[in-house]
Amino acid sequence: MDKFKEIIRQYPFLGFVIAFIILMLVPSVFFTDLYQSHLASLICINIIVAAGLNIVKGFCGQVTVGHVGIYAVGSYTAGCMFLYLGSGLWLTLPAAILIAGLFGVAFAIPSFRLEGPYLALATLGGGEAIRLFIENGDFFMSTYGISNIPQPIIFGVPFDTPDKYYYIAMPIMLIAIYFSFSVLRSSVGRAFMAVREDPISAAASGINVKKHKMLAFVLSAMFAGGAGAVYAHLPPGYIHPNNYTVIEMVTFLAMVVFGGLGHIWGGIIGAIIITIVYDLTRPLYEYQLFIFGLTIVLTILFMPKGIGGFIDKYFIDRRFKTKTGAASK
Amino acid sequence: MLLKTNKLMKAFGGLKAINKVDFELPANEIRGIIGPNGSGKSTFFNLVSGVYEPDPGSYIEFDGNDITNEPPHKVGELGLARTFQLLRLYQDMSVINNVMSGYHTLVPYSFIDAVTGRKKIWDQEKTIKEEMMELLSFVGLADYAELNASELSGGQRRLLVLARAIAGKPKLLMLDEPAAGLSPVNVDNLMKILMRLKEKYGLTLIIIEHILKVVMDTCSKVTVLDHGEKIAEGTPSQIKDDNAVIEAYLGKKMDDEEMRKALAV
Repeated sequence: MDKFKEIIRQYPFLGFVIAFIILMLVPSVFFTDLYQSHLASLICINIIVAAGLNIVKGFCGQVTVGHVGIYAVGSYTAGCMFLYLGSGLWLTLPAAILIAGLFGVAFAIPSFRLEGPYLALATLGGGEAIRLFIENGDFFMSTYGISNIPQPIIFGVPFDTPDKYYYIAMPIMLIAIYFSFSVLRSSVGRAFMAVREDPISAAASGINVKKHKMLAFVLSAMFAGGAGAVYAHLPPGYIHPNNYTVIEMVTFLAMVVFGGLGHIWGGIIGAIIITIVYDLTRPLYEYQLFIFGLTIVLTILFMPKGIGGFIDKYFIDRRFKTKTGAASK
Repeated sequence: MLLKTNKLMKAFGGLKAINKVDFELPANEIRGIIGPNGSGKSTFFNLVSGVYEPDPGSYIEFDGNDITNEPPHKVGELGLARTFQLLRLYQDMSVINNVMSGYHTLVPYSFIDAVTGRKKIWDQEKTIKEEMMELLSFVGLADYAELNASELSGGQRRLLVLARAIAGKPKLLMLDEPAAGLSPVNVDNLMKILMRLKEKYGLTLIIIEHILKVVMDTCSKVTVLDHGEKIAEGTPSQIKDDNAVIEAYLGKKMDDEEMRKALAV
């Protein structure tokens, strides 16, 4: 097992190939109806957003509540490109990532001077402004929403049903996770954490604080933008400004917080659990915001590092014990 | 000269925290800076390391580069490392990550390499980690590498801060009260480690310290600040007998008669 771990560590790409094969087989083994496939695609999309949010919030420590706005930018880039240019996913996805990245720059600028709740307020305003701009713009079909956004066709096979679309969303999610792992396990990820923990002492170590804040915002915006585009093309291919409200933002935040802020698996674990819970609680629509708000509060109070941190703690304690032959504390 | 300041000035409102300080430090020296609280020692560090911007007219040169208005990370890149009075550890990061982030400027691969996650990065990361583990065992923290920095004791934290500052292989290391709050045994231990590190990496040191034994034993020269001005500079024994320094910082030596009077009151 250790040898296997070592190989994966050396060739991380191999791990993703294995994950890809397993995930390819999941639907035929476990899924019994189309709805489960739809949910699986949704989980994939949420994982992309949460992995991105974990970069900026969990690792770089910048509170952002405007991420859903960037997610909307991604979706509407895809939507408008279809509407006016007739583009498909393979064109809209890179465009959405690019444009979302630009919005990431805009969201990073307040973080140079603001911190904590003040930054949260500024980004909240930014996110809401984007949504209202879309809602009131005829160019974006305002409150009608954009419908019939097409699914991609590969080798003449249309991926237009939920069970097929899963095979589009899943590989994109894996690629996103691969990038997030690569960044976070490198010196860049360490620099992000240093900026989160203490910007002054990070700067003294030669880490350019502004540059890394900018990087974190842009990277995570690109994740959100990409996810937005994948969401826009999700069958039935309909987007509406109401899909990008504060409620969605709270859900995204709940994923990252519950999964474990600053834990490399955090966003992923959280996205899977919260998406499923979100779906199961749909009948209790009025209470959803309450439930997720409460989840965030309780998690921060009793499990500040989320599930990921909980697992981490267990393994690291064990490693420490075996090394020194004594309990750490 | 490794570090040179010319007419260094910083005023906070009407208070002149640093007033026209000329300071010169040749390479390979251990310099002590002493002075009463509020005399501008930490401000001096903050100005040199770029945390504060000096007032116009000041000039700071490090290793031949003008760093007067450079931001802190530029100064750090040039090879000037420092520690903080309040430590400023990365509390929520493992000990090894603390030290490895100190290595940031020397990391050989680019950001693009990092994003694409190429294999050579993991090899290089491995080498960095091994090197940093060596540094950790040098200061005696190797067994705690995977623990959170917040779980260390006070003395271990001071060692970790030292290791983090040295990780980037600086030319000049500025220590802000490295021994504050340590027991006498730990102070000796810390100074021993510090001297060994200096030898190993060829460091030049500036030490702010209130424990005079440390300053007198280790520093080859001492600069004394008071109210933002340099009031004396010289070898420890010269400083000990300097009247201005005694007045401002060391305190007068009482003879028996004075002592009796003081105790009677």
